[in-house]
Amino acid sequence: MDFNDSPQEAQFRAEVRAWLEQQASDYRQPLDTTDVAGYTARARDWQRRKAEAGYAAIRWPRAEGGLDGTPMMEVIFAEEEARYHVPVGPLVTIGTTMAVPTIRKHGSVEQIEQFTRPTLYGDTLWCQLFSEPSAGSDLANVRTRAVKDGDDWVINGQKVWTSWAHVADWGILLARTDANVPKHKGLTFFLVDMRSVGIEVRPIQQISGESEFNEVFLTDLRIADANRIGAVGEGWKVAITTLMNERINAVGDSLSLPSVPEMIRQVRQAGKGLDRHRAAQLLTQELGLRFFRFRLLTSLSKGETPGAISAMSKLVHANMLQDLSAMALESAGLDGICADGDSLMEKFQHGYDWSAALRIAGGTDEILRNQIAERVLGLPGEIRVDKDIPFSQCR
Amino acid sequence: MNFDFSDDQRMLRDHARRFLSEAGDFHSLRQTLASGEGYSQALWQQISEQGWQGVAIAETHGGLELGMLELCVLAEELGRVVAPVPFFSTVCLAAEVLKRCPGEISDNLLQRVVTGEAIVATGLLTPDQEWNDTTVTFSNGKLSGRSAPLAYAGHAGSAILPVLDQGQPALALVDLQNVDRLALGALDATVPFARLHLENTPAELLCSGNQAHLVMTRVVNQAAVLTAFEQLGGADAALEITRNYALERFTFGRAIGSYQAVKHKLADMAVKIELARSNAYYGAWALQDGSDEQLAAAAALARLSAGEAYEYAAEECLHLHGGIGYTWEADCHFFYKRARLLAVSLGSSSAWVDRLLSDASLHALHS
Repeated sequence: MDFNDSPQEAQFRAEVRAWLEQQASDYRQPLDTTDVAGYTARARDWQRRKAEAGYAAIRWPRAEGGLDGTPMMEVIFAEEEARYHVPVGPLVTIGTTMAVPTIRKHGSVEQIEQFTRPTLYGDTLWCQLFSEPSAGSDLANVRTRAVKDGDDWVINGQKVWTSWAHVADWGILLARTDANVPKHKGLTFFLVDMRSVGIEVRPIQQISGESEFNEVFLTDLRIADANRIGAVGEGWKVAITTLMNERINAVGDSLSLPSVPEMIRQVRQAGKGLDRHRAAQLLTQELGLRFFRFRLLTSLSKGETPGAISAMSKLVHANMLQDLSAMALESAGLDGICADGDSLMEKFQHGYDWSAALRIAGGTDEILRNQIAERVLGLPGEIRVDKDIPFSQCR
Repeated sequence: MNFDFSDDQRMLRDHARRFLSEAGDFHSLRQTLASGEGYSQALWQQISEQGWQGVAIAETHGGLELGMLELCVLAEELGRVVAPVPFFSTVCLAAEVLKRCPGEISDNLLQRVVTGEAIVATGLLTPDQEWNDTTVTFSNGKLSGRSAPLAYAGHAGSAILPVLDQGQPALALVDLQNVDRLALGALDATVPFARLHLENTPAELLCSGNQAHLVMTRVVNQAAVLTAFEQLGGADAALEITRNYALERFTFGRAIGSYQAVKHKLADMAVKIELARSNAYYGAWALQDGSDEQLAAAAALARLSAGEAYEYAAEECLHLHGGIGYTWEADCHFFYKRARLLAVSLGSSSAWVDRLLSDASLHALHS
């Protein structure tokens, strides 16, 4: 039992470190994310540099721009990359880890050819047009309609919670092509040029004051049939590929989120009594997640595939973040509420805000508990009263 | 990254699990309880034939000399079946003291531990106790005083006790043959407790002064990690029987495991157990390769995490079984009571919380 890299892993880590030392020297300080145009340009540039070195798709064959690498190499690169403030969020990964793997699995040769390389090189950024006002946890409930008209499809509806729709070049879209069959059977998967006529993107102001998410209104939007992925009515199957490709949480601690030791230091410095039992419990969760991750990496390193366990990590992490942020803010009293430029307090405020989003996004607490109970423990699935009736008759 | 038990250690685990699922099932546990013998002599004999008592003891003493990770593996499997044997006090505590106080007396006793011949009761100083809290004193080769409640003291041939020797810490070994022992009624009937009444009882000192202090600190930290594995085994088994019951028990026309109020509790059990397992693995690593500071921090981490997991799993196990769960006939109470015993056996959670939140631990865990 040890925490060491294998010789090959250590060698790869050294190569990556040397490369980052050279390439990421501009990213030692946090980026200004409020400058959207600047941030987007840097994200494209960083992705291009990775692609040129083969680090953008480590597991792909060398002939296609990868390194013929292992999942463990991907994790090592992500770990090392996370030591810098590089622009690698969903703006890039929706394309590289969700859109492109889906296209490569279900798309035509032409589609794969058209989208793979530009996405890998940061020329094409993606957003995910899945969630709707009445389709979140129950994603298959999407109401956005797609009606065939000649060689085109005409789309009408509304998407929501769409990260980076305001800068994305293309989007992956789930729309209903047949309302007279049960809901999972009437969906079709499309690729959308976000510059098309008929798309209106309205930023949503989040509780943090930021606007990464958007509402997207689709009005008589025309999509060529050539931009359909998979067969008509097979959209749910294709979307499952997208969702399964959400990468396992490869990197542990994020530089921008507060940690339990930071909270403990803050409470002690404030001279307020620390709720020791609660603090200790949070610490066992934070460290438990770290060592849980080490166990997953061990499976990966041995070439095994970890099971449905990312649900556990996210469930614990989001709730822990909410609690530790609240405890730290409480210790500062109104000075924590009125951070007014105090960067430490703003970090805890960010943790408090973001944890609320994290408990919803990518599977709510409740959906995750269902997943754990059903997939890990083999308990019965939820009763789905609308499973077998035509969508048009569902409430 | 190689943060897992080796293939050989996993084989040992699989073997132990198979063996105990028959030799140590709840039917035989009930028979042991009904017999009034206090522990299962048959099971103790069978595991000694497989060398379990000597798994972490040197070959020169007749042991298998595998290591502490193997001891973790066995602790988990024994915890899974709530095994009625004096393994913890004899092997995880006494033998670990004896290994650190070498000499003829220790060597002889270690050899008898390996064969299963010796059962030893062991007193501890928990993190919320000082040496001055010990109730037994040593003077002119003799012990006097009443011990704290000691597991298996009524059945052991000898006991190791923390004592004061003219105000100085010491560890004493006492033959129990002619010692008054008062058997105590206890919450968890699967572990018999007794109190020793010592009155000028002849005893030997194993070590004293700072060495005694260091040995006690080390052994208590090790015990916290090993107990964490025992707790994990119990928690996992409690989850398993609850999950099975939730699938077969129907209310209002559905398996109770189909209701979110039930399945979400089971999911929470699984999550707490995974976190506890991860922290226990770090404890196992620290047992084998960590510094003293890392072991101290890892012990507190593993103990608090596994204690929470077992407490939750055992309480909800009984609760989710409904009325039947409160009966002696159902097995839930074995976990429910063992979880409570293990939660207090190494001192209050409050003291371990202080250890975990100490600057030394925070530093060791984040370096």
